[in-house]
Amino acid sequence: MSLKARIPYGTWGSSFFPAWQMSPLAEVNIGQFAGEAAGRILGKRKVPLTELEYMIIGSTIPWHYKFWTAPMVSSCMGVRLPGYHVEQACATGLQAVLLAGTEVSQGAYDAVCCLTFDRTSDSPVGVFPERRSYARTVGITDVWDNFGFDPATEKAMVTAAGLTARKYNITKKEVDEITAHRYKQYFDAKAKGFLDRCMVPLEVLNMQGRSMGVVDHDAGVREVSLSTLGAMRELDTCVTSGSQTHASDGIAVLLVTTIEKAKELSLRPEVQIEFVAKTEVRTLPSYMPEAPALAVRKLLSQTGLKMKDMAVVKNHNPFAVNDAIFSRLLEHDWHNVNNTGCPLVYGHPQGPTLTRVLIEALEEAVDLGGGYVLVFGCAAGDVGIAAVFKVS
Amino acid sequence: MPPEAGRNRVSPDRRQVNLAEKPETIVMIKSLRQSTLETLGLGSVLSIFKNGRLPVDTTEAVCRVFGGASERGSLVISGANGIVGAGKAMQLGSRLASFGVPVVALDFAGSPDGIGQKFAGLKNTFGTEGAARIMQNIIRLNYDGKNLPADLKNFRPRFLLEAVPEILEIKKAHYAIFRAAFPDIEIRSVTSGFPGAELGVGITHPAFPHEINKVWEVVEKTPSAVTQLFWALGMIPVCVSDHWSFVLDVLFCGLTLAGLRYHLNSNMPFWRIDKYIRKLLGPNPFRAHDAIGAKGANFLTWSCLHHLGKAYGGLFTPPEQLKNTVDGGQNWYPLNHFRPLVNWQLDPLEEQEFNTRILGPLYQMASLMLHENRAHYANMNIIGELCAQFRRGVLAEIRARGADAVIGTVTAYHKLEPQVAKSAWYPRVFDRMDTPEWQQLYVNAEHDGTVGVLTIGRESYNTDVDGELNRAIDWLKSERIQKVILCGDFHFSTQMVGADTSAFFPALKDESKGYEVSYQWSKTARRLNDEFKTSVGCVTGKRCLGGMLELMMHCHYLVAVSDCDLGMPEVTLPVIPGMEGCHWPFRRAHKKDWPRLVKLLLGGRFIKAKEATGWLVDDAGSLENTLKKVWRIAVGEDHGLALRPLNADPISGIPTDAACMAVADDPVTLAAQKAILDNIIASCGVTLNEAIDRQARHSAGFMSGDYCRGGAIGQQYAKTMKV
Repeated sequence: MSLKARIPYGTWGSSFFPAWQMSPLAEVNIGQFAGEAAGRILGKRKVPLTELEYMIIGSTIPWHYKFWTAPMVSSCMGVRLPGYHVEQACATGLQAVLLAGTEVSQGAYDAVCCLTFDRTSDSPVGVFPERRSYARTVGITDVWDNFGFDPATEKAMVTAAGLTARKYNITKKEVDEITAHRYKQYFDAKAKGFLDRCMVPLEVLNMQGRSMGVVDHDAGVREVSLSTLGAMRELDTCVTSGSQTHASDGIAVLLVTTIEKAKELSLRPEVQIEFVAKTEVRTLPSYMPEAPALAVRKLLSQTGLKMKDMAVVKNHNPFAVNDAIFSRLLEHDWHNVNNTGCPLVYGHPQGPTLTRVLIEALEEAVDLGGGYVLVFGCAAGDVGIAAVFKVS
Repeated sequence: MPPEAGRNRVSPDRRQVNLAEKPETIVMIKSLRQSTLETLGLGSVLSIFKNGRLPVDTTEAVCRVFGGASERGSLVISGANGIVGAGKAMQLGSRLASFGVPVVALDFAGSPDGIGQKFAGLKNTFGTEGAARIMQNIIRLNYDGKNLPADLKNFRPRFLLEAVPEILEIKKAHYAIFRAAFPDIEIRSVTSGFPGAELGVGITHPAFPHEINKVWEVVEKTPSAVTQLFWALGMIPVCVSDHWSFVLDVLFCGLTLAGLRYHLNSNMPFWRIDKYIRKLLGPNPFRAHDAIGAKGANFLTWSCLHHLGKAYGGLFTPPEQLKNTVDGGQNWYPLNHFRPLVNWQLDPLEEQEFNTRILGPLYQMASLMLHENRAHYANMNIIGELCAQFRRGVLAEIRARGADAVIGTVTAYHKLEPQVAKSAWYPRVFDRMDTPEWQQLYVNAEHDGTVGVLTIGRESYNTDVDGELNRAIDWLKSERIQKVILCGDFHFSTQMVGADTSAFFPALKDESKGYEVSYQWSKTARRLNDEFKTSVGCVTGKRCLGGMLELMMHCHYLVAVSDCDLGMPEVTLPVIPGMEGCHWPFRRAHKKDWPRLVKLLLGGRFIKAKEATGWLVDDAGSLENTLKKVWRIAVGEDHGLALRPLNADPISGIPTDAACMAVADDPVTLAAQKAILDNIIASCGVTLNEAIDRQARHSAGFMSGDYCRGGAIGQQYAKTMKV
């Protein structure tokens, strides 16, 4: 892959991910909000909007005016950019960044704004005329109905997690231990102020211009103990409400530029962030939790890199089962993954999830003095996606 | 232009135009600084009183411009359906109709009906019949841009007010066809940017909103009959020099550019930049563009900045994004369905940078205009207030901050925007800030050796006015003047609306600030009573309210034109009159008139001056009689008025029965009425010496309370200052 594109250090940021229905984000047009918030975040990062040439937006849940895609969102940001919309379920946040890298590497643009967002709260309801259906007309609530029904397998996501846990003989005890550890990692990072470097608090206004509140934390995330997790009822094998993620709302933005532009815009020009490799796999029906591990295995074989080469390993893990399987397949200690938090804990707004994961991973790598950064995750349709970046 | 700044002027005072039937009295008048009226060739304010009439008679002024009644010509407004043309057709048409001057509204056939759109506003102001009468006097003619309509000559065009697009070649060609057809026609352009030297005609550049804003920036070598006619019609012509974009557009376009540059550096949306600028200075430059009509206003702003940039360099050079807004024609503010969702709160450091990026260029522009002597300092200062929503004029703002702070801000700005440091920066102009031209932006004083006149050139009273009034009194005292007239300046202050309520903002949170304002202003007002042998307040405008009325009532005599509105509207805000309005008039009125005073203070309604004779004002009459009466009182001639004595002892028996009170039915007004009544009783119930403190405490206490904070002032504060 080895794209010529770079990610200028610090030209990124994410909103916090408040849980479903727990913040003013439940009441906004998330496309408009994302545009305005991105302008705010890039302003904080000293990136003038005039530097941007193109925009790739990523989201998975329909929003008002979606037809107008990136141009509309960029107008809300305060600049008129061309661009397009990309959607690949929970892989969206990483795929959008990788596509931005491709746009830059092709020489089409010097600076591409990658903006991902979703509002799971108050999911829109789609009404589809279906002549082959007994009901003739089918209504779908975009978030919950899709979680609960993979049309290719007729199974729910949670069923896939249980199935895969059984395939690998994962125990609930191990999953609970992973979950407890993930929460500890998140709250430790939060206490150290790590989140404050990646996240930007955003105040939301109502129609009258009055404050509806500030989105300044991952609302709904509470510390959880191993004993509490142990007491939770299994929804399927190894899956409890504690060891799976929750729906949330949020946005994340990140720039991809040429080498020269990165030096100009980076908050630390001496830091270089390169694209190294990317791959995707699709596993057997309803075995989605193993797909990210398979993707990583494929990526390592393609690049010749080893897990021990990775300075930072971070993933989108809607189920703690994913981490157990990854550990098993890659022979990598799950303790050394997701050092600063992960979607299992802070939630799952779909579109921006992996963008936030990437932002946190890059910040962590810079803290560590550089190295390879492995970011991966699963996506609807039993897909796994993985990418490696190099921070030097 | 400011003459010999720093020295008091002694000049023979005479009218510049020979309109009078009898020879002028020529007297030596000394003034603290040049009066702005003089810049219009209209002499001093003192001479108005000495002569017992205004310097220009409106009918005569109309005749000079449009010819006598038998040969009356017309006013032609070209581009009459545009924003400026239509607005001015209404404004001038309504004033000229009674003089039989037709207004010919000239525009392209098929241009959108701008005049028709203004009819509703006209109807609101003048009623259906009045509006119809005015419209009957507006003749609409079409032309093709090259040939004038044949009918035009029938209306004997005498004065062309050109409001065609801001394209030099088009304008020049337009003048050429008019001059060819009507060689003697007076032409003025409303241009917002081109100097008269480029256009070859004089300039009368109006300010938005055009149907009601009375200010016109005027560029001409010597004040003309047209300018004096405008003044006589109640307009506010303001003389400025013949430089690119004059004063208003340098400030307005420059401020817009500063905001746009901040946006380009921070990404902050324009609606939010507006709020911070409003907090800092008062204007909403981007909202103003949208309100005027973004497409046209953006072009004018770009055009001004483009030419200013060519003339003065980087300080004004418009960025490409501004040109894009011109070509795109979009509003600066989001559309209704995209009302902003994300707030932008600046932390203290960010706000400091914001202030530097806005104030830096503003101060630098001011230095350029001062360096070029673009206008009398008072003119330059007031333009921002009257035309661009500045809470305080730019020079007053600079004066308040001080030269060192201002230069420091510009220097800091240059570090952020190095390209603007290379030209148009004249820090030495701030060296002379202690001269009267700088120190007396709103208040002037004149005297003839015997009688002095204090003129207030601002419609509302604030701390700047208070400071200047004290300095002006000091000057008259130092000149040994014992008799004084207090009045408006017959130029900028066509009315006296009371206290500038933004001066009360600090008092909402800090009672001591409220006390300071109330006590200090009252102390100033008392000087009119205490420090002169004779003081006469003269009210000649449409209204005199609140704090201004309180100030005026401190004079030994108060004379007003009979149809002037007087009132104490504080109860409606609510706030408690704190400039001694709650006891001073009681001490000077007969007990039988106290119920009227209570009603005036508690009801908040206005009364005509003629209804207040004997208990609030000493005399009311026609303008000419008022001027004459005031002069007679001032010089000590027989005037037939008995001095109403001021009772310095405690007084009691203030009527509190509902019969004399306009009792309100809402709790806020009821609370305000009670507080005002308490203040009346308390401050009347002590000696005059004690009353100043007593009433200031009441006033300050109420201002920091819930009713005031939740009222109009509190809301205004929240809207303006809580960003």
